[in-house]
Amino acid sequence: MQLRVGPPQIGRSGLTQSIFQRLRKQNISTWLVGFACGANMLIAGCSRPAAPSASIAIEHEISPEPARVGPAVITIKLADGAGKPVNEAHIGVEADMTHPGMSPVFAEAKETDPGRYQAHLEFPMAGDWVVLLHVTLPGGAKLERQIDVRGVRPN
Amino acid sequence: MNPSSIPTPEIPNPDISDSLPFDLMRVPGLGQLFRWRYARPLLQTPLLIVSVVMILHGLLGPTLAPKNLATTLSWLHFRGVLVLVLLCAGNFFCLSCPFMLIRQAARRFFTPRFTWPRALRNKWLSVGLFILILFTYELFDLWSSPWWTAWLIVAYFLTVLAVDGFFKHASFCKFVCPIGQFNFVASTLSPFEVKVREQDVCTRCHTKDCIRGRREPVSDLVTIRGCELALFQPSKVGNMDCTFCLDCVHACPHDNIGILSRLPASELMTDPIRSGIGYFSRRKDLAALVVVFTFGALLNAFGMVSPVYAVERWLGQWLHVNHEAPVLGVVFAFFLIVEPVLLVGLATWLTRLWTGSRRALLPLAVRYTYGLVPLGFGMWLAHYCFHFLTGLYTLIPVTQNAIASLGRPLLGEPRWALTGLPPNIVQVVEIGFLLLGFAGSLAVIYGLAENDSPDRPLRAFLPWAAVCLVLWIGSMWLMFQPMEMRATLMSG
Repeated sequence: MQLRVGPPQIGRSGLTQSIFQRLRKQNISTWLVGFACGANMLIAGCSRPAAPSASIAIEHEISPEPARVGPAVITIKLADGAGKPVNEAHIGVEADMTHPGMSPVFAEAKETDPGRYQAHLEFPMAGDWVVLLHVTLPGGAKLERQIDVRGVRPN
Repeated sequence: MNPSSIPTPEIPNPDISDSLPFDLMRVPGLGQLFRWRYARPLLQTPLLIVSVVMILHGLLGPTLAPKNLATTLSWLHFRGVLVLVLLCAGNFFCLSCPFMLIRQAARRFFTPRFTWPRALRNKWLSVGLFILILFTYELFDLWSSPWWTAWLIVAYFLTVLAVDGFFKHASFCKFVCPIGQFNFVASTLSPFEVKVREQDVCTRCHTKDCIRGRREPVSDLVTIRGCELALFQPSKVGNMDCTFCLDCVHACPHDNIGILSRLPASELMTDPIRSGIGYFSRRKDLAALVVVFTFGALLNAFGMVSPVYAVERWLGQWLHVNHEAPVLGVVFAFFLIVEPVLLVGLATWLTRLWTGSRRALLPLAVRYTYGLVPLGFGMWLAHYCFHFLTGLYTLIPVTQNAIASLGRPLLGEPRWALTGLPPNIVQVVEIGFLLLGFAGSLAVIYGLAENDSPDRPLRAFLPWAAVCLVLWIGSMWLMFQPMEMRATLMSG
């Protein structure tokens, strides 16, 4: 018995056949242009606005530099638009690895001098880390800042 | 041999075990589910919904990978569940593949008119794509980018639509899909196989609906598909190229196809002619796929440990380049070309020398390369299960966060402290998988050696056992290296 390589396609109903024929008759370039425009709009729609932190300057420093597995200190300086230190802010610090599935590290920053805050972290693993600063200003306004800590080195 | 040609039905399908195998289709509830014509869409729909959520969250959600569903689900949970299901059951991911659900929907409007080009009816294209995915994974640090991960899923959907929109049957699954090829190779070690229950029934069967599909008597239209991957059940051997789609189960008029238990890896020890595949020992493309599967497992794990950065820095200085791509290219060439050629080449030469075999070197190498599959799968299991088990619970806070970001924290505030099992416990599991893989490879190679040299099997076995030992030691060394997951290889 002669067998075919795989079965023929399942038969289509008259309705779907007519839809198919109509689609085939349309200009393929119209479809391509439409797809390109749609993809472009999707990409453009995915870009997000910048964080609203223009009037607050956030400086940071991490020691040891370069960071190593083990304890680390993050120093954060907050200043307003005029360069005046911002006191009594609340800063939560969160450190995540860039790979999913790793345990994040949390800490609270304490104000050591006017506008100067320090948080003590412990990096448990070597690799790329991202430190997130969750800042709540005295007035209640909230800011987020992301710091890339690349290449935390093994001990 | 042409891989997609149909072998003659009279070729016997060797029974691995004399005892009656356990049949998943006989399990109450499960059997009814699998026999139901819409079982596959039922299993595919949840995964399609999850895929759409992953795409949306990847494009619109948090940019940090540990907080995004696209990266967490793709690189932790999907990979971990995939390898565990392959190890414990079979290729049930291909059964539930969401890409095929979209393809089926599209085929209601677009009927493919072309047959897959003869020159591409092999695994070479998918081997290239497999390497390309491994390469882009390292180059673009896909694990750390929800955005790229989401686009990878989108690209997969579009490629499926493009390939199977133009080409008939399951061309994408059989000749293109890199995930599918991974599953095909790994499922040779699975304990279950879609297989005929009684050969006699097939011998008496005249309709061959399992391959031709069931047809309406008058119009001759196919109402239930036969195997789209050209696997003729009576002469199908093993899981290679089988997507567990159950089309043959639904099409068989005698209810003679089950999901039967078998000895894992047994199909690697024999070399009968296989429907839709031919002889394993003549398929250089399949052997190349196995090489990439096995050595790629080590390569993929190597990219996550500390020594890789020293190697890459040294290579960067040696080549006088600052860009990562050429350095990665050299690393890939070493792992996927130089290392296999040296190890496999030396083992083949010694086998030929010690056994006095008259086979040419390449066919001999191809034959024994299949013995490396268990070792490679052991490494994939160890690697993927490390991430899966140590990050097992992270899906909870990430999902909580995703729902909370919609405005209503229906599942509560994210509990970021939830991670997974302790690494020291998971390491024991990893060692177990590596030992299992090593033992499996030794068993397969001894089986092949016994077939080739019944009088002196050790002479054929020892060179390949030495290759397995080298790879196993390399795998163990990798597992004990400090993890250093970095996206910036060249930054010093």
